[in-house]
Amino acid sequence: MSDAARLPLVLLVDDEPRILSALKRTLRREPYELLSAESCAEALRVIESQPVDVVLSDHKMPGMTGLQLLERVASRRPQAIRLLITGWTESIPPEEIRAVGVRAVLSKPWEDAALKETLRRACKDFAGRG
Amino acid sequence: MSEPGVGDVALVAALGPENSPIWLRAAGERLREAEIARVGSAAECQALARTRPLDAVVVDARIGAEAEALVAWLAARAIPSLVLEPSGSDSAALAWLRAGAGECLPCGANGERIALALRRLLAHERARRDALRREAASDVARAHRDIVEQLNSALLVVDASGRIAYCNPPAEQILGTDFEALHGREASDWFEPAGNGETLIARSLRSGARFKGAEAAVTRPDGRRVPVGMSCAPIESADGTRSGAVAVFQDLSDVKQVRTQLLQHEKLASIGQLAAGVAHEINNPMGFIHANLFQMAEYVQDLRRVFACVDSLAQAASKSESSELREAAEALAAEADSVDVEFVLGDLAKAVRESQEGSERIRHIVQDLRDFSHPDASERVLADLNQCLDSTANIVWPMMKHVVVLEKRYAELPVVSCFPMQLKQVFMNLLVNAYQAIEEAVGQSGETGTIALETARHGDGVRISVRDSGVGISAEHRERIFDPFFTTKKVGAGTGLGLSTSFGIVQRHGGRLTVESEPGRGSAFHVFLPVADEGDTGE
Repeated sequence: MSDAARLPLVLLVDDEPRILSALKRTLRREPYELLSAESCAEALRVIESQPVDVVLSDHKMPGMTGLQLLERVASRRPQAIRLLITGWTESIPPEEIRAVGVRAVLSKPWEDAALKETLRRACKDFAGRG
Repeated sequence: MSEPGVGDVALVAALGPENSPIWLRAAGERLREAEIARVGSAAECQALARTRPLDAVVVDARIGAEAEALVAWLAARAIPSLVLEPSGSDSAALAWLRAGAGECLPCGANGERIALALRRLLAHERARRDALRREAASDVARAHRDIVEQLNSALLVVDASGRIAYCNPPAEQILGTDFEALHGREASDWFEPAGNGETLIARSLRSGARFKGAEAAVTRPDGRRVPVGMSCAPIESADGTRSGAVAVFQDLSDVKQVRTQLLQHEKLASIGQLAAGVAHEINNPMGFIHANLFQMAEYVQDLRRVFACVDSLAQAASKSESSELREAAEALAAEADSVDVEFVLGDLAKAVRESQEGSERIRHIVQDLRDFSHPDASERVLADLNQCLDSTANIVWPMMKHVVVLEKRYAELPVVSCFPMQLKQVFMNLLVNAYQAIEEAVGQSGETGTIALETARHGDGVRISVRDSGVGISAEHRERIFDPFFTTKKVGAGTGLGLSTSFGIVQRHGGRLTVESEPGRGSAFHVFLPVADEGDTGE
């Protein structure tokens, strides 16, 4: 596949594998290439080796929060769009979310359409970036 | 005038030119009630006056100029002086009296006369001091009476037989009776007996027991019971004779109410934290269940389309020339028959749909839990509560119209500073509860019940009442209905959070949510709200 033709590469991060498979199920027919990681450490390894365009991460995970992960993503791969998905959106201070440059916060359980729309928006200017 | 007692010897200082003048001895012999102390100089006299209270001083003017200064000094300290003056002239005596002397006699006066004058001076002095003490004592008594009458606590004194001898105004108020009607009555007519069948006051009287901050109760003539905190002690004289008892008590009605509310508040806060944590944990599995069910519903649609094609294919194959195809079509038809594919596909869709409903319901419960712990923090706005109530009633009306007749009695209300969405949630809870109470009462009888929505001004605020003719709430349940997770509804019909959430919302608005109910007759919930938020003029 040539670079110009490739699909946006989306990395899904959650310590709950069933969430990952449900997310993949939802996005199966969407125009993305999907990768997944079950821990922040694994996610960081993926970031190092793959040209990830979007990171959609859970927040509450053992070892490191999703916000901390996205902070590292921001420094290692600043062009990657950062999205957060959490079961308890109210628990994260909005200023921290802004500081990390998170594009959108989704809540669990998510609405199918809302998830697809959020990703579509995140990848809107993807074609222009190549 | 009474003679001074043994323990009450007056101290008289004597100052003269001679060491032991005859008058001093003569007067001393006659004045048994006084100790006469000979002093050598004015300075010595003053020093003595500073160490012991002098009752009088005899000054012989012949000691010279310091006599005059001493007399003035003594007068300034209200110590009477008797001056012995050498000239014996009226004008000289007058001058001494003007200078502050209490009495003036010629130096030649005999001991008896001097003793008499001294005795008069001492008696006069004693009378002056007594008057002063009496005045002070009556000041103290007046102050005592004022203290007792103006005490915030109720104070009650009984005599040795337990009859009311005195009570102050707060006691009249708590006992619900005027002192006139209380005076001489048995205190036990008002106070509830403690554990051993005796009132605390009676126990103090009988055994001399003292109580501090004990809980007791008063039953008023109107039947109202008032819980009181009471301290009680016997009144005993120095020799131990018990002449009565005194009780100090306070109305605890408000304290008890505040304590209950505080407890409720604490419960809400801790449950709120728990709820938020639980909500978060539930949301993770709910996340994939919800998403999976959505996908499964789509898959079922996909499969139905495919099976429709399979069906047409089987139809076509069954008419085929090829026996192989016909057999395959028959095998397919037989398998489809035994599995009952039509049913399975239909039921799969139904099972998925019902599971989605279930997941939706869980989402609502979790949402309730989240609202419960995180009230929306947006700004208060001024809202018309009649309109809030009415629009909420409109939303739930279709659900209940088969069993409910709705009566609306709206008064003209001022706009209220509030979070309208939260209050609508309260009204929704109350309406749904009212509907369920009616549904339970009428059952399948085909009868209807009534929900009355009533709004009114109440003091400085407003009252919104939701009254139903439903099953009512038993007294034991009434105490618990505002507890988080308490529910009498069947499983799945309620989270047990509706009323406790409502309670919290109304409380955050600075209001109160109360209930009255009669089992079998119905219930009424009243929401009392202040018009303006505290510190907010509402303008």
